Amino acid sequence: MAALPRRIIKETQRLLQEPVPGISAIPDESNARYFHVIVTGPEDSPFEGGSFKLELFLPEDYPMSAPKVRFITKIYHPNIDRLGRICLDILKDKWSPALQIRTVLLSIQALLSAPNPDDPLANDVAELWKVNESEAIKNAKEWTRKYAVEN
Amino acid sequence: MSSETNAESDMEYSEDDCSYEDYYNSVDDCDSEQVDFKKVDPEHHMLDCLSVEEVERLLNESVEALCNELEVVPSLAKVLLHTHEWAVGRVISQFRSNSSQLLISSCVKPAIPPVQHQENLTYMTCPVCIATHPREKFCSLACGHMFCKDCWAMHFEVQISLGVSTGIACMAQDCGVLTPEDFVLSLAPRPQLREKYQMFCFRDYVKSHPHLRFCPGLNCNVVMLSKELKAKKAFCTQCKTMFCFNCSLDYHAPSDCNTIKRWLTKCADDSETANYISAHTKDCPKCHVCIEKNGGCNHMQCRNCKHNFCWMCLGDWKAHGAEYYECSRYKENPNIANESAHAQAREALKKYLHYYERWENHSKSLKLEEQTVQQIKYRINEKVMTCSGTWIDWQYLMDAAALLAKCRYTLQYTYPYAYYLEPGPRKELFEYQQAQLEAEIENLSWKIEHAETTHRGDLENQIDIAEKRRTTLLKDFFES
Repeated sequence: MAALPRRIIKETQRLLQEPVPGISAIPDESNARYFHVIVTGPEDSPFEGGSFKLELFLPEDYPMSAPKVRFITKIYHPNIDRLGRICLDILKDKWSPALQIRTVLLSIQALLSAPNPDDPLANDVAELWKVNESEAIKNAKEWTRKYAVEN
Repeated sequence: MSSETNAESDMEYSEDDCSYEDYYNSVDDCDSEQVDFKKVDPEHHMLDCLSVEEVERLLNESVEALCNELEVVPSLAKVLLHTHEWAVGRVISQFRSNSSQLLISSCVKPAIPPVQHQENLTYMTCPVCIATHPREKFCSLACGHMFCKDCWAMHFEVQISLGVSTGIACMAQDCGVLTPEDFVLSLAPRPQLREKYQMFCFRDYVKSHPHLRFCPGLNCNVVMLSKELKAKKAFCTQCKTMFCFNCSLDYHAPSDCNTIKRWLTKCADDSETANYISAHTKDCPKCHVCIEKNGGCNHMQCRNCKHNFCWMCLGDWKAHGAEYYECSRYKENPNIANESAHAQAREALKKYLHYYERWENHSKSLKLEEQTVQQIKYRINEKVMTCSGTWIDWQYLMDAAALLAKCRYTLQYTYPYAYYLEPGPRKELFEYQQAQLEAEIENLSWKIEHAETTHRGDLENQIDIAEKRRTTLLKDFFES
């Protein structure tokens, strides 16, 4: 494998030295392009109290291409499907090489605070979120308790 | 008005329509080139098949015109033309009235003031690779976002490998300023990559040009040029593909682009059922012997009992020939609104199958008639070899077969049109004309299959009638 670009080394150092509140991203021991991520559910959201595991992978042409990110912990959210794939513009067509791992994870955290049922990935979840928000929030809280809280 | 148009209009014309003097003295009388084809043939379409080089020349003429007029570099002219459908006049007038607004809306200039940099810096840090380089290793677009040249090159490599070319933008977040051609070409290192980039740009330019269409034929490089932006017939002289200039699907008159798209989607969804229901064989309505259709003609004669019947409706053919032919018409159940949902669904399927069977049947007939053409060729060859006439003597049979294919093609595409037509007088008129066309086509097909026993004049007359029915239908329903 080619040497790790300076940019990835710098980003990793900064993530470890000055972590973002509520987010931890630790590189895998055997592959420095693979990160084990934990995002805690934002306050005043149905995901509060949960800690959600994600995986983040920097492809060969990072930062020219966006990182690949996926939820591993099950989550009830209109923009995240049952495989954990995330519908977020900066991971797709709005990606810019000037963005970083840090900014991506912050955006994902913000998505937990503000679900967007008008641009759905999980259709059934989005539908319920629109017609019966309180019921959807109840489901989201239940899933958080069931899957994202360590006993 | 020329003699051709008169001949088309009808057999009966009165003196004041066209006096003999006009008839003999009209200037364009002998020159069939000058006939107004639009009046004669509603499908007529002026088209040119261009090679890649010819299209490049055509596009370059527009680029040059803009460069001379506005005194801009060619790569900027290309961005402006690409974002404005190659309307040179429109770009010039907008540039003259408010150049800054035009440049912003074309994503050449940023909407917000560009980023300022200190001029005296000798070293800078690139926000993408986080490396520090001398100032001259950096460059930016009009937005002022500085990145090192290596990162720009990497950016282009990734974007071009994704198939992006004219749409490559600045690397800064939320900055939509586009990279003009010369910027990319000066920074992309590999010649192969630059070639690919130029190929993709060309593709984008043709796609943004309203008068140009790529031929949809397999591996065909022809580009069609048309001044008329309508759903008209386009025929590629290179690969012989016939398609609709507007939507690039198979040509579909009298149906319009939306109708045919809906119809094809519907068929893709439902045709399994339809195929299952409409088997390939039918029983003779009289003696019930099983019959496989092996010719295009729908006028069937049972080999067993000699009964003449229609393959579509299984009715007696006698009722089809002379009288009111209405096997193509779907009879809707008038009480359907009061029936249960289940019955309505059945009725909807029945209606769809009625039209689908006919669509599919004519498509099959077209293929079978291709085989007939081969047989005709073989038979003509035989006749010529045994000295019964010359090749030219039998040529009318080939003309008849070609016209039959043309008519049946149109007839096939009348069924999606009819399926989506709202019930009413217009639909009745359409289905009447469709039935007329269908009757004449089956007559023609029968006569071609029995060419040995059909008089030449009779066949030529039938050719004329069928084509007239076809153009009448297209004139009434395709142009509007």
